[in-house]
Amino acid sequence: MADYIRRLPVYLLLDCSGSMAGEPIEAVKQGIKALVSELKSDPQALETACLSVITFDSSARQITPLTELMLFKEPQIAAGGATALGAALTVLSECIKAEVRTSTPTQKGDWKPLVFLLTDGAPTDNLDDGIDALKGVAAGNIIACAAGANANTNTLKKITNNVLMMNNLTAGDMAQFFAWVSGSIKASSKSIDAMPGEAVALPPPPQGFVIVP
Amino acid sequence: MNSGEIRTATLESGETIEYVLDANAPRGGMKHTFFTPDKRFVVQFFNDPRNAHDPQIQDRIRSIVSIYNPTVSEKDGGALGNTEKTADYFRTRFCWPVGIVSSPEFGIVCPTYPQNFFFGDGASAVLNLKGKDKKSNWFTGRNRRYIAAQELGDFRMMLRTAIGLARSVRRMHQAGLAHSDLSCNNVLIDPKTGSSVVIDIDSLVVPGKYPPEVCGTRGYIAPEVLETMGMDSSKRSYPCVQTDLHALPVLMYEYLFLRHPLIGPKIYSHESAEKDDFLAMGPMATFIENPNDTSNRPPDLKVTIQSLSKGLENLFLRAFVDGLHDPEERPTAMEWEAELLRAWDRLKQCPNPNCDKKWFILRDENQPVCPFCGTRTTDRIIRIRFQSEMRGRKGVFRNNGDAFVYDGMPLFDWHVYSNVHNDEKASTDMRAYVCKHNGMWLLVNNGIEGMVSPSGRLVPKGSAVELKDGAVFRMTNRENGLLAEVSVT
Repeated sequence: MADYIRRLPVYLLLDCSGSMAGEPIEAVKQGIKALVSELKSDPQALETACLSVITFDSSARQITPLTELMLFKEPQIAAGGATALGAALTVLSECIKAEVRTSTPTQKGDWKPLVFLLTDGAPTDNLDDGIDALKGVAAGNIIACAAGANANTNTLKKITNNVLMMNNLTAGDMAQFFAWVSGSIKASSKSIDAMPGEAVALPPPPQGFVIVP
Repeated sequence: MNSGEIRTATLESGETIEYVLDANAPRGGMKHTFFTPDKRFVVQFFNDPRNAHDPQIQDRIRSIVSIYNPTVSEKDGGALGNTEKTADYFRTRFCWPVGIVSSPEFGIVCPTYPQNFFFGDGASAVLNLKGKDKKSNWFTGRNRRYIAAQELGDFRMMLRTAIGLARSVRRMHQAGLAHSDLSCNNVLIDPKTGSSVVIDIDSLVVPGKYPPEVCGTRGYIAPEVLETMGMDSSKRSYPCVQTDLHALPVLMYEYLFLRHPLIGPKIYSHESAEKDDFLAMGPMATFIENPNDTSNRPPDLKVTIQSLSKGLENLFLRAFVDGLHDPEERPTAMEWEAELLRAWDRLKQCPNPNCDKKWFILRDENQPVCPFCGTRTTDRIIRIRFQSEMRGRKGVFRNNGDAFVYDGMPLFDWHVYSNVHNDEKASTDMRAYVCKHNGMWLLVNNGIEGMVSPSGRLVPKGSAVELKDGAVFRMTNRENGLLAEVSVT
């Protein structure tokens, strides 16, 4: 029998600028690994979630197209360059347009995408271009995480109301962030029963993370 | 939080219990969970301290642990009328809270699920599932393809799983309790052995107590609850026994057919996925097998409710056609339990050695075809129809259910006496068994007092009655004894 299961598209936007070199970028790689393994052990997430990775440094690109978890391969990522966050948002909007199935009279559409953005610095390109590109694209929840002292939460607030702050870039904090991302995806894959248009309730962020009001 | 650090909790009973801190403690919608060092119990605390301090929640949970507890006998402070035997029985069917933590904060203590509800080695060739709990959608959805064949059970074990769940829900409802969030996450199943365990018992709806704040899980919420969720409290439908009676058949339908009864091809709204899903599970929900409205029917349905017994087909129609939007029409858990047990006695082994379902419910002995693989049985089909004499009307009998016999089939007290039901109170001692001997089918007495042969002679223990077409005999001449009528097709 055919599946009539909707997909939950999940986009990870990862800052790979020069300042992420060393421990932080390694922690991100480990984080993705742990995230995928954790989601694969949750039947609802495994059934519905699809994952894509977009990285940005001096430019932005999608390095993993939206892929179901069983077929997901860990991407090769390296740190170096500037922080083209604006370009990353433009790439995100293009990917969502191309990959996320919309509801039509003959097609069951995907759930609204869930976007996790991790950055440790201020954008070095024109952020407004990216924000404009995202307008008119139905991204469900964008959660931005400002990592370390140099991240600028004010600019992130322009993108989304959901901004978290992680004080440092240690491997432990990064692992906690990815554990929280997987918890959020799991919660979303279960509770998409919310009333139409309502935001999904995400679990409380890990200790040491601050929600930026 | 220092993962691995051992803390001590004090219970309201004055006892203490140790638990191990864990920064990545499993976290549900309401609570998070720590294990005791020996992993025999879990200690759970509320995520939201307001819930932990809420006297109404505390009061409700105290009554769940004590006077409504079917896993503790009445004399030990458990549910009214509960014996040691029934307490033992339900201890394996429920993960019922056994204690209340008063310090460091309000929380509950529950037993850990029995070991067979955790995946072991080799559960999947492609996923690392060792130690993960057996949520039912590992077995019923598309994830099934990743699970090793020896974990999947067969149709008979899935039917057994459904019987166990119906019985557990019946037991709660009998006491006036509603689970309120029966779902693939809160009922763990082990299809290999055909068993189920109901967990997350602390959000029960308890008579006369302030109700819990859960609405359920996507796919299992009753349509009226979803439909009225955002409304004014006076217009809202809340979880109750009737909403359990939606979730229960959804789960059982998934066990038996490995698909969801409401998820089909119909598109309810092309505005958004969220709107479509709300309509599909709420106000417009349509059973994929609705005989009067085929708009949600998948084009490739082969095995349907018509492949089950007539009785089960009728119950599914009442649950998902008449009762889908009319809660009062839904069959009770007791009706489900009784009808599933009747279906159990109608099971027939599929003659095809490659059929992975192995068993099917024989609906009509003139059409003995396995609905899963299409193989026709060429064996003789021997049916015993059990009839009970109607009270006060001597010689007037009523059909109490049929059994299609197979070599080695055990018979129990409920096949002997009309007033014994196959439930937690009944003895599981085998009273008789069927055996094929020198081409004859025999029913051997294994401990029935007063079994009578078709010619009217007493059949002592160790002797047998031949199951021949047209044979009629008393299972016992004692009070409430059933009459057996044999037919061979």
